[in-house]
Parts: sequence; C-alpha cells; structure tokens
Amino acid sequence: MQHEIQARPAATVLKVDLEQGESLTCEVGAMIAMSSGMTVETTSRQKGGKGGLMKGLKRMFSGENFFLNHFTAQNPDQSIYLGPTLMGDVIYHPLDNATLIVQGASWLASDPGIEVDASWQGFGKALFSGESMFWVKCSGTGDLFLNSFGAIYEVDVDGQYTVDSGHIVAFEETLQFKIGKAGKSLIGSFLGGEGLVCKFEGQGKLYCQSHNPPSFGKLLGPQLRPR
Amino acid sequence: MEAEIADKPSFAHIRVKLDPGDSIVAEADAMASMSSDIEMSTRWNGGFCSAILRRVFGGESLFVNEFTTRTGGSLVITQALPGDMDCFELDGNTMFLQPGAYIACEPTVKLGLGWAGFASLIGGEGLFRLKVSGTGKVWFGAYGGIFSRDIDEEYVIDTGHLVGYDPSISLKVGMSGGIFSSFFSGEGLVTRVKGPGKVYMQSRSIGGLAAWTNARMY
Repeated sequence: MQHEIQARPAATVLKVDLEQGESLTCEVGAMIAMSSGMTVETTSRQKGGKGGLMKGLKRMFSGENFFLNHFTAQNPDQSIYLGPTLMGDVIYHPLDNATLIVQGASWLASDPGIEVDASWQGFGKALFSGESMFWVKCSGTGDLFLNSFGAIYEVDVDGQYTVDSGHIVAFEETLQFKIGKAGKSLIGSFLGGEGLVCKFEGQGKLYCQSHNPPSFGKLLGPQLRPR
Repeated sequence: MEAEIADKPSFAHIRVKLDPGDSIVAEADAMASMSSDIEMSTRWNGGFCSAILRRVFGGESLFVNEFTTRTGGSLVITQALPGDMDCFELDGNTMFLQPGAYIACEPTVKLGLGWAGFASLIGGEGLFRLKVSGTGKVWFGAYGGIFSRDIDEEYVIDTGHLVGYDPSISLKVGMSGGIFSSFFSGEGLVTRVKGPGKVYMQSRSIGGLAAWTNARMY
C-alpha cells in the first residue's frame, strides 16, 4: 500500500494505491474517487472480524459512523482518493503493534489489520476535554490516516504538556491526560478564556489541531439567520 | 523569543519559543497548547475601565493572558477563524486594528481603544478601533488572506475587508459608484481611505460568508 497526501493543510486529499487483494477501511462518505476495479463492503465491524452491533453503536457515540466501508482492489494497480467533509488536514501515522487514541471524528482510514473501536475515557474527560464522550481506539499493525479541521501539528511529549480543550487530535497510549486549570488560579483560568485544559503526562507522540469547528461556529453562528 | 507564523494563509497559527525571562501577551482563549514550563497568568486587558470599554465597543475580550517561563518553553497561539495572520513591529508609533483582529503582542506594547467615528460605523467597521502603541511586535489575524498596500492619495475598500491601518489614514464612508451601481453592483457602501499610510486588508470577509450561507438556508 502506497499513499500520498496532497494540498495540505486546508484542502487536503489522500491518495492510496492498492495492489490486487489489498483492502482499506474508510470512514463512511470519505471516498472522493476510485478506480473501477474496487469493491466496497459496508459493515459495522472490522473486516473479517466478529461482533458488530455494539461496536457500531459505541463508534456512533464517539462521533464516528455506525458503519465502516471496506474497499478491496480486485485488479492490480488500483487507487482511491479520500477527503474529509470540512476543510482541513490529513496525517499519516503507522502503527506497529501499538495503540493510538483518536478524538471522535478524526479517524479517516486505516489498514484492515487495525481495529477501530470506541473507548470510554471517564466522566471528567467526557465533560471537560471539549471532545466527544467516547474516543476512537485504533490498535494493531498497519497504516492509519487521521483528519481534522485546521492544521495538524505533532508534539513529542517527554514529561508534561498542556493542550487547550478542543485541540486534541490523537495521542499514543503511552500518554495519559488529566483535566486541569490553565493558569495558577482557577478563576483566572476561566476569565482568561482558557478554562479547563488537558494536561498530558508520559512519553509519546501527540497530535494537535490549530483550529476547531466549535470556535469558528461561535463566531459565524450569531451572524446566521435562524431557519 | 522566536515566533513563526505557520500554515499561512488558511490555518495560520503562531509557534512561539520563549527563553527564560521572555514573555508574550495573547488574546483570551488564543492558546492552543503549551509545554509545562510555561506559566499563564490572566490580567485585565489594559486597565479596568479601558478593558470594559474595549469589551463593549471594541469586540475584544475583557482579559488577556500573559505567558512567561523560568526555564524556557514553547507554545502555540491561534485564532478562532480559519485564516491568515501577519505581524508588524512598533517602534514608538501607533497602529489601528479592527475589532477582533488582535491576537498577541510583546508585553512592551500598549493596548488602547480609539474612537473610529461614525463613518467607520456606517461603513460596517465599528464605532471603535483597537489602538496598539509602544515598542514591540504585534500579531493580528483575519478570515482570508492578509495583504497590505501603501496608500498615497485615496483608495476604496469594500465593507468588512479592512483589517488594520496607520493613524495617518483617514476613513470616509461612501458609495462605490452612482446610486444605481452602488445598489446593484453588489458593492453597496464602501470605505474610502485617504493616505499617506499603510492599510492591511483581508481577501475574504466573515460577513460575506454569513450572507452567502443565509441565502442558501431554507
């Protein structure tokens, strides 16, 4: 499987080349174009995996779709173009028997060898992290692609790192985060507009997004006419 | 201090590296992420009264955050709008910014509120404008790309596209042409700026996006 990410970071498109027999699992609705020798199979479970109904429901709560699309190349030299709905970035993160915790709605596509499951992060994080109730847990070995509204930047955390709520894209399982205040005083943190933030600890890779839809929506929303 | 604007012009954000003793002041809620050796403290945006005036009339927040470090660290500063950012350095002079354009500055920069006049209000640019003065760098942002122009005489700017300007620039509201073309050309009211001085403009306006969206909601 070869890939190419073009037109970063605002109008990003992902092109994946597949050999005969290779498959790619994608978010529903992400396909822009593809070769004619591809078949699509829509299920609520991992390709060739078991279970389904519960996993699909959990995935829905994490901000993803109930269904997954599995594209398989029936002929040699097939390709597929994928893109998210909103303007934004796409990044590549290969997994080697590892786990990446992804913010709901940021998962775009992955190798069928990667299990895409929702994971509950606890009430505190669900309410205050500015992200979905559930997170998407991607584990296994293979290629993984994530998307976001805004540009994605990478931080190698060694020790501690603070991210404002709503700016997390994904992080390696070796990192843990707690909800905390941004400044020294709680009142100051709220008055300063930062409020509660996510404080990461450990060693591993963290992906953040420079912008997020809710902040943009707060500016644009009041100027829109009610339907 | 090192500061670099990344991912211009669609998702611009500032990547800042602070050395021990350095500090940067940013608009409320502008911090996206920061290393643990950065300390954030919140204070009134200027004095108490001017903070309230700026909140009510200038579209800015009541508070600003100051980021400092004892051991050195890094942070990322962003804006809510997807768009461009630019930076100018003040050397004892003054610049005016439109409401909402201010993002961050060095702590030696003074933030104030200036009366922009009724021409500015009618032109859709607000009754007040943010006044930045002193010495140091100022970062500002917009929706769409930012471009600048040195004006000698008079220049015409469409409503909602003005971002910042020198104090030597005067604003006057006017029609883009005659009555007929002003109403039917899609330009309507425009701002006539008179130089000499520098003007910063944005290639898109959020009001334009809202109008386009509103026309398509049924």
